[in-house]
Amino acid sequence: MRNLRDHARLFGLPRDQFDWALFLTASALAVIGVINLYSATSVSRAALSDIYIQQVYWLVLGGILAAVVAMIDYRHYERLGYVLYGIGIVLLVLVFILGKDIRGSSRWIQIGSFSFQPSEFMKLLMIIALAKYLHDDPKTDSRSLKDLLIPAALAAIPTLLILKQPDLGTAVILAFIFATIALLTKIRWKSLVTLAVAVGIAMPLLWTYVFHDYQKQRILVFLNPESNLLGSGWHAHHARVAIGAGGVSGEGFMRGTQNQFLFVPDQHSDFPFAVFAQDWGFLGCLILVALYTFLVLWAVRIAATAKDRFGAVLAIGVGALVFWHAFFNLGMVTGILPVVGVTLPLFSAGGSSVVTIMLGIGLLMNVSMRRFYVSPAHGTGLSTN
Amino acid sequence: MTNLLVPRSDVSEFRKRYRWLALFAFVGFAAVVLRLFHLQIIQGAKYSQIAHENVIRRVAVPTTRGIIRDAQGRILASSRPSFNVLVVPGRVMPSARPSRSSRSADEPESWSRVADTLRLNPDERTRLTARIRDACVTDEDRSPCWRPILVREDLSRDIVAELKQHATEVPGVEVVSQPVRYYPYKELGAHVIGYTAEIDADTLSKFRPTNWETLSAEERQQSNPLGYEPGDMIGATGVERTWESYLRGQRGWEKRVVDARGRYRSGPEAERLLDAPSRQEPLPGRDLRLTIDVDLEQAVERALRPYTAGAAVVVDVRSGRLLAVYSKPEFDPNDLSGGSGRDRIRESFNKLYSDPLRPMLDKTMSGAFAPGSTFKPFSALAALQDKLVNPAERERCDGYLYFGRRAFHCTHVHGKVNMHDAIAQSCNIYFFKLAEAVGVDRIARLASEFGLGQKTGLGVNPESPGRIPTRSWYALRYKGQFRIGFTLNTAIGQGATTVTPLQLALAYGAIANGGTVYSPQIVRAVETSDGAVVQDFPPRVRQKAQVSPENLARVNDALYAVVNDEKGTAFPVRDATLEVAGKTGTAQTGYVNTSGDEPKKAWYMSRDHAWFASYFPAKSPEIAVVVLVEHGGSGPTIAAPIAMQIIRDYRRLAQPHATKAAGAKDGHQSGPSATAIKASHQERPRE
Repeated sequence: MRNLRDHARLFGLPRDQFDWALFLTASALAVIGVINLYSATSVSRAALSDIYIQQVYWLVLGGILAAVVAMIDYRHYERLGYVLYGIGIVLLVLVFILGKDIRGSSRWIQIGSFSFQPSEFMKLLMIIALAKYLHDDPKTDSRSLKDLLIPAALAAIPTLLILKQPDLGTAVILAFIFATIALLTKIRWKSLVTLAVAVGIAMPLLWTYVFHDYQKQRILVFLNPESNLLGSGWHAHHARVAIGAGGVSGEGFMRGTQNQFLFVPDQHSDFPFAVFAQDWGFLGCLILVALYTFLVLWAVRIAATAKDRFGAVLAIGVGALVFWHAFFNLGMVTGILPVVGVTLPLFSAGGSSVVTIMLGIGLLMNVSMRRFYVSPAHGTGLSTN
Repeated sequence: MTNLLVPRSDVSEFRKRYRWLALFAFVGFAAVVLRLFHLQIIQGAKYSQIAHENVIRRVAVPTTRGIIRDAQGRILASSRPSFNVLVVPGRVMPSARPSRSSRSADEPESWSRVADTLRLNPDERTRLTARIRDACVTDEDRSPCWRPILVREDLSRDIVAELKQHATEVPGVEVVSQPVRYYPYKELGAHVIGYTAEIDADTLSKFRPTNWETLSAEERQQSNPLGYEPGDMIGATGVERTWESYLRGQRGWEKRVVDARGRYRSGPEAERLLDAPSRQEPLPGRDLRLTIDVDLEQAVERALRPYTAGAAVVVDVRSGRLLAVYSKPEFDPNDLSGGSGRDRIRESFNKLYSDPLRPMLDKTMSGAFAPGSTFKPFSALAALQDKLVNPAERERCDGYLYFGRRAFHCTHVHGKVNMHDAIAQSCNIYFFKLAEAVGVDRIARLASEFGLGQKTGLGVNPESPGRIPTRSWYALRYKGQFRIGFTLNTAIGQGATTVTPLQLALAYGAIANGGTVYSPQIVRAVETSDGAVVQDFPPRVRQKAQVSPENLARVNDALYAVVNDEKGTAFPVRDATLEVAGKTGTAQTGYVNTSGDEPKKAWYMSRDHAWFASYFPAKSPEIAVVVLVEHGGSGPTIAAPIAMQIIRDYRRLAQPHATKAAGAKDGHQSGPSATAIKASHQERPRE
C-alpha cells in the first residue's frame, strides 16, 4: 500500500481525514439517481409524480443519519454489535405480527403514517454482528467449517426470516454478504469444497420446498427468455429492449421511448437502470458502472487500511452490500441474471433502501476517517510524528 | 507487510483476500459492461428497431365502398357514417381497478355520466357495469381493463354532439365513426342490389389461411388481394357480392404512436417518432351504374303490391339490359347491413329465414317455377322449325283427351283450333297432339336455343338453371319407364319443366327481337368516385336461336292475338292504348299436402302460379316483361293486369326521359355520367 505514506502526513489530524472520494462518489450516484427518477416517473404524472421529491427527502434524511453514524466512533458499534443485531431480529419477527401485505408478501412495519422495511436495516446489523464476531475471534490460522458455524448462524437467522416474508431478493443479498465476509477469512480448501457440495445438494431442495411459484417462474423465464413474452418474460424483455435501444449515446434525457410509453416495468423501483440506459446510452452506463465500481473498490481499500478487524469487516461488508445490490440489479435488468427484486443502490426509489445505503456509506466514512486512530488497547506509541 | 505505520489488530488474516475481492468486484462489473456493450452497441440497432415498433402502430384508414347508382344516376346504395361509442373500462371507472397505487385522486368516475348521456336502459346499464368490473379484475398493462369495449352502436347525432362537447370531462370515452352501408330505397330491388355483412369465418379463412401469420408480404397480397380482416364488411348477396372487388376499394394506413396500454399519443414528442412514410391514403371503391331504373322498379313494386309473393323482370330486348328486377317478398338491406346494430341484424335474419314465403330468395333467378302455358310458344316453334305440324291445320278440342288410360284436360272446350288460335286461347289439347308429333327432345332442344333450362350467366345471385326435361333425363329419373304423359306435360310447361322468370324474360326478348338471346346485363358501367367512366359494358349476345323468321313471325302474331284478339286469353285485361304481345300462363304447382301443413297454408300452396310473359310494343319491341305471381291463381286475371300496369308505367316514364336526354344534348352541362346515359340512349334505335 504505497500511498499510505501520503496519509501518514495527515496522521493525527482526524478531522482532515474526511473521505472526499467516498463522499463525492456517493453524492454523484445520488444526484444521478434523482435525475433519473425524475425522467422515469415523468410519464406517470398522477401516480408517481412526487417520487423523486420523496427520494430527495430520503437522501437528506439518510445523509443526516449517515453523518451521525460517521461521527460516533465505530468501536461503539463494535461494543453494541450483538445488541443491535438482537434489535434487528426482533423487528424481523415483528414484521410477521404487524406486517402489512404488499403484493403477497409482508415486509413492512407501519408506525403511524411511516412504514419501513426492517430487512433493509438488517443487512447492516448483520454486517456489524459478523464484524464483531470476527473481531473477537482473532484467529490467524486456517478456519474449518466448524469455526464458521456461529457466523453462519448469525447470517442464517435473518436470512431465513426474510425468506419467509417472502423476500427472495433481500435474502439472497444477505447470503452473499455473508459469503463475501466468510471468504475474507482464511478457510481451508477442504472446507470450501465441502461447502460447495453442500450448496449443490441444497439447491434442488430449496427449489422444491422454499421457492414460491412466481420465483421459480422468474428463474425459468431467465433461462429461456423468449418463452413467455407476455407473462413473466414481459418485464425482462422490455427492460432489455430499453437498454439496447439506448445505443451508444442514448436518446436523451426523458426521451427514452420505452419508458415514455410505459413499456418499462417498475421503472422507479427495480428497473430505473433501464430508463437510464435508454436515456443516456452506453457512455452514460459506462460512467454509472464506473461509479459503482469505484465505490466498491474504494470500500475494499478502506478495509485494507482499516486499523482493526472490526473496521475491515465492516468496510468489506458494506462494500459487499453495494456490490451485490448493484451487480444483481444490473445483471437482472440486462438479462444476465434472473429477475429478483433487488434495488440499485441510490438509484431505486424507496426510503428504507436509500437510508440503509446512506447508513452504510456513513459506516464506510467512519472506518475511513478513523483508520489512523491508535487503538488504546493496542497502542504502539508510534504517534511521535 | 512491512508497513507498520498503522497499528492493526490482526488484520493479517484478511490481507491476502482484499486483492481477490477487488478483482472479483471488478470482474463482476466488467461482465455487466460487456453485456451492456453487447446490448447497446452490437445489438443496439436491433433493439432500437424493436423499441420503435413497440410504440408505432399501423392503424388502418378505412376506405369508402363504391356507390351503386341506377341508370338515371340515383343512389341505390352508399355509405353513411355511423357513430359507435366505446369506453375504456379502467378509465371510465377508476374505482373498479384493484391497485390503489396507480390511481390518483383526480381521475373522475365518468361511467354513470356516460350511461346517462347514452340513455342506456337499466338492463343495459347493469350489464355493462358488470362487464367493466369484470374487465378490471387486474389492471396490469395488458389487462382487458385498458381495452375499449363497445357500448352503443349507431348513435344519433345529438348524442354524439353531446359526448364530443363534454369530451374532456368524461375521459375514457371514444366515439368512433364507422361507415355503414345505406340503401335509400330500402326494400326496393333489395335482391338484385344485395346487402353487405360482416365477413364470416369461412370466407375469411379463404383469404387468410391458417398460416397467415407466417406468410410474407407478397404471399399475403396474393392470397388476400383485397386485404380482408376480421370484422370487415363484405358484399353478401346481389351486385354487392358479385362486384365486391370493384366496390370494396383498398384501405390505407397511418402510423400512430401508442403506449404500452394501447393509448394513442399525440403531440411533438410522439410525432418525432413517426418515420416516413407515415401514411398511405386509402383508395376508394369504384362506383357502379346499374341498368336498373328506379322509377320502373317502383312501378313494378306498385303493380305487385296486392300480392304476397312473386317476381317480375323487365328487360330491354335490344340489349339484354335489365330495367327492373323484382322479387317479392323483399327484405330491408339496411337492417342486414348493420345500420341499426348487431341485435337488429340477428333479429332480421331470424325473421327472414323462418318466413315460409322465402323473402331471402331472389325468385327472378334463384327460383325455378313451372312456366305453364307461357312455354307453349317454344313448343310451337319446335314443331314449326322441324315442319312436323302444319300450323294452319285445325285440331279438335273437346276439353279432354285420353292418352292410354289417362285423361288430359283442357281449360274448356275450344272446338276446332289451329296453332294461332291454340296459342291465343291457350288450348292444351292442341299442344298435346302437337307434342305427340314433335317429341320431348325436339322441344327441349328449341327451348335451350332460347336459353331456357340454362343459367343466364348474370351471376348476381346464385342462379337456378331451371329444367327442360329430355328423354334421357326421364330415363335417369324414372328408370327407363318413359311415358307419353311426360312429353305432353312438357309441351304445356308442366311436369318437370321449370324456368326462372329471368330466363323467360330473355327468351321472350329473343322471340321479340328476331331470335337473339342476350346475356343479361345489370351493371352498365364502372365509374370512379368523381364520375369518370372506367369501364363500359356493351351488350353481349349469348346465342342466336336457330329459327326461321317466318316461323317466328307466326308465333309473334299468335302472341299479339293473345292480348288483342277477342278470344285471346289476355284480351279482357288489355289496355287499348298499348300494343302488347304476350302469353298468359297458369301453372299447376303439383302441391300435395303430405307434410300436414295447416289448411290455410295448404290452400295457399295448392293454388296455381299465375304467369304473364310479354313484350312491348308488339310491332317494334323494346322491352320484355315477365310477371310471376306465386300461388296467384289464374295467369290471365292475376298476372296479365300487373304486366299491363308495368308496361303502362314504362311508356309513361319513357317520354320524359326522351325529352330530358334531348335537353342534355343541347346543354352539355351535365357530368360525364349523364353523357354516358345520353350516348347509350342514342345508340339504342340503331341496334
